[in-house]
Amino acid sequence: MELRIFIVKRMLLLLLTLFVLATLVFIMFRVMPGNPASLVVSPALELEAREALLHQFGLDKPIHVQYWLYIKNLVRGDMGHSFRYRRPVVEVLRPRFMNTVVLIGPATLFALILGVLIGALTASRRAGKLDTIGTVTSLALKSLPTFWTSIMLLVLFAYRLKWVPAAGLRTPGYTFENALEKFLNLDFLHHLVLPLIILTLHFLAEPLLTMRNSMLEVQGEDFVQMARAKGIGERRVIYNHWVRNALLPVVSIVPMMVGHIIGGQVLVETVFSWPGLGREIVNAVNVHDYPLAQASFLMIATVVIGLNFLADITYAFLDPRVRLE
Amino acid sequence: MEKQPGRKQERVPLPGLLGAVRSIGEAMADQLSVIGGNMFGRLGLAGLALFFMLAVFAPYVAPYGPYEETFHPDGELAYLEPPSLGHPFGTTMMGRDVLSQLIWGTQRTLVIAVAAAFGAAFVGTNVGLIAGYYGGAIDTALMRLTDIAYGIPFIPFAMIAIMMLGRGDRILIIVISSILWRTTSRVIRSQVLTLKERPFVAAAKSMGASSARIIYRHIAPNVLPLSFLYTLIIAGDAVLVEASLSFLGLGNPNTISWGQVLFYCFSSQRMRTAWWWSLFPGMAIVVLVLSAFFIGRSYEEIINPRLREW
Amino acid sequence: MALLEVNDLRVYYKTRRELLRAVEGVSFQVEEGQNVGLIGESGCGKTTVVKSILRLLPRSARVEGQVSFQGRDLLTLKRPELDKIRGKQIALVPQSAMDALDPVLRIGDQIVEAIQAHEETAGRTAREKVAGLFDLVGLDSKRLNHYPHQFSGGMRQRAIIAMSLALTPKLIVADEATTGLDVLVQDQVLHEIEDIHRRFNISVLFVTHDIGIVAETCQRIAVMYAGKIAEYADARSLFEEPYHPYTLGLMNAYPSVRGPKHELISIPGSPPDLVDPPSGCRFTPRCPFACEICQQEEPELVETGRDNWAACHRVGEIDQLRTKAGKALTWKRMAMNQV
Repeated sequence: MELRIFIVKRMLLLLLTLFVLATLVFIMFRVMPGNPASLVVSPALELEAREALLHQFGLDKPIHVQYWLYIKNLVRGDMGHSFRYRRPVVEVLRPRFMNTVVLIGPATLFALILGVLIGALTASRRAGKLDTIGTVTSLALKSLPTFWTSIMLLVLFAYRLKWVPAAGLRTPGYTFENALEKFLNLDFLHHLVLPLIILTLHFLAEPLLTMRNSMLEVQGEDFVQMARAKGIGERRVIYNHWVRNALLPVVSIVPMMVGHIIGGQVLVETVFSWPGLGREIVNAVNVHDYPLAQASFLMIATVVIGLNFLADITYAFLDPRVRLE
Repeated sequence: MEKQPGRKQERVPLPGLLGAVRSIGEAMADQLSVIGGNMFGRLGLAGLALFFMLAVFAPYVAPYGPYEETFHPDGELAYLEPPSLGHPFGTTMMGRDVLSQLIWGTQRTLVIAVAAAFGAAFVGTNVGLIAGYYGGAIDTALMRLTDIAYGIPFIPFAMIAIMMLGRGDRILIIVISSILWRTTSRVIRSQVLTLKERPFVAAAKSMGASSARIIYRHIAPNVLPLSFLYTLIIAGDAVLVEASLSFLGLGNPNTISWGQVLFYCFSSQRMRTAWWWSLFPGMAIVVLVLSAFFIGRSYEEIINPRLREW
Repeated sequence: MALLEVNDLRVYYKTRRELLRAVEGVSFQVEEGQNVGLIGESGCGKTTVVKSILRLLPRSARVEGQVSFQGRDLLTLKRPELDKIRGKQIALVPQSAMDALDPVLRIGDQIVEAIQAHEETAGRTAREKVAGLFDLVGLDSKRLNHYPHQFSGGMRQRAIIAMSLALTPKLIVADEATTGLDVLVQDQVLHEIEDIHRRFNISVLFVTHDIGIVAETCQRIAVMYAGKIAEYADARSLFEEPYHPYTLGLMNAYPSVRGPKHELISIPGSPPDLVDPPSGCRFTPRCPFACEICQQEEPELVETGRDNWAACHRVGEIDQLRTKAGKALTWKRMAMNQV
């Protein structure tokens, strides 16, 4: 029962965060000095078209009406028109969204799984050397600038060794029938490999360190000893009690991890010319395509907040103590 | 948080502002000696010291200016030269010496990182102190704010902010601080929650000390070590963020920083052949950030000895 | 053959810098159906003894000696064999039982886990058994689906006791099983344990600092001090005719409800550092009767009655010493000498 209440509470927080975020974006965009009209209307259009659009977006109205319209449009899924592409923003972003998800999804998953496994391994072998190597490597991984490793590895594997293609997510001219074919083919996977490896390597440090620390802390807990004293066998002690409790902090860092991965994603997409949300937002920002930039940002933030929400729920599912909160 | 063995647990403040400054100074000095006792800490300090020196003495150490075009003896531009005796890190497409650019860039990089880190730590620590001490509605409100800050993806936010507010170092510092305070606030808050129950707080209260006084003169000096630790970690992150943003073309085009060098390298699309142009700036970043993280790690082992033994 | 025989048990903890001699040559037995008390101050090593029986010590511990259960040396058993004994033959009720339950699993499930590890029992049958155990210890059997944080400390303690009974072990090792509970609950819990002892003929090894508990429940008592056994006798003899000065001191520190009123005297000073213990008898610094030989030679256990033992050089003069020990001045003088 408490779990349901918890979910509802968290859902409210989710909506609140989205709302606050949208408002924040609205404020930021109005803060910009100069003509607020240029936010939604490209200066390249003729005067009448501009005035028509201004009227449609209510930019000739007082600010609170504008805000209301903004929220209304947002909820309806209307995020304006891109200056650069001259098309509705949602149209532009829809394929980009998918392209980003197919990279970030597996990357997060692999980073988590590998990080947890290695972290657990490092903790259970308290041999000093392995442990130090593990922690130093994790720290080193965390200090690498994502874009730098991307460049280095791209030069090495794509240009020098020619093991993987140098850019994009498929070879030009490749045809496909549907979404499944689009992503489940060798050519795509060939393009996916290097960016995926880079993202995974960069972000497995956090779960690794967290899992390691967590395992060491839980090891000394009374209930682990008690489990041993029950004679249930070491394997059961490790998996049912030790690891299970040690996983909790790892789940709790997933939201933070996702936030970081998105940042990394932006960089990787730029270096690899991967046509996803990340690259789109970089281009939009550089050419001051405000509607597109704003919308990309909101979309990215929604993904992150949504994943945060899921992680919170998972945590509450795993740890009953949290539900009372 | 475990106690450090053999250390005074609570600092009793001296009267006056001088006393406050002194207790903070003492706390800092303590931390330095703690860090120095550890291999990680020593390596980290060495790294930081190196870069600090480079930043301060850049004009004397750098062989060339950051924008100076270098030439061969015969008058030809030293354009995209691989590493050599004259140019240990090679040259850029404009004939500039990469090593000099890195040395000059240290200033910018450090200034931004340190300022942003202090800003973030300052805000975060205060939020943590206030939320932790007062509890109740204030706590909830501040923690919800922190939750929201956590929900905002950092780099995209920074990009939008810079697009709106323009480029420049000040903007960068403000933008970085405005998000990175979130980790510090949570950590400080939990520390305050435990400290709140300690007798010295009750004693201060019973003597009629005002809340502000209790927070800033009694509790704050005790959370400062943790604040300091997080300042370091945030500084490391800030270097990475600044480099990433500059790389994306959102840095300050008027000054040179390591990320900026990488931006030029990438935009020139010469990375395929001019490997030195991207390798060395990246390495510099890695060494600096690693130093900061090492110090943080040396701390962690001491703060949490449970991690060592069972 | 005794149910449990601890023979010359020695346990050392090795930390980075030093060697902590936690237990130095402890021996005692527990017969079937018999309750034995192991008493001593905190830090005297009794918990270490408990942990060594079931081999629950950390990796930094070195264990030597023998711990035989029904004739088999537990210290050398292979892990799978040991696991068969743990929980099923010897059950542990640990110190701070409140923390001994896994916080993310339901209490009932944790007990079922113990049952199913040793017996081929279907889930439903096991849960019914758990419900019965809950009733036995006075817990609401409808609450076996609850999580540990939903139970109070005392209830969690009882849940652990219920768990210890789940497989009807031959021996229950109760380490400070009632410490931290309020007196009424303490009384109830002790009653339950006593009840179980009588009903199922289960031996209980009571490890505690509270003399009152062992006085009520145990047939034999071992007094531990600084890692060694100071005195080991049957309960009645120990209380009526204690031989070791430490025991004498302990008796003084506890009020007697029925016997003649006496002034409560505490033993001044604190237990020795086990990293670098003093030569000779370890109780010397705090003993009002210490003499030269006490500082030089460690006393061996000397028989003081039928299967009663005490480790003191001055066992022979005990009658005179006993009267003195009852006087507060003896101890106060000791306190002043120490300062």
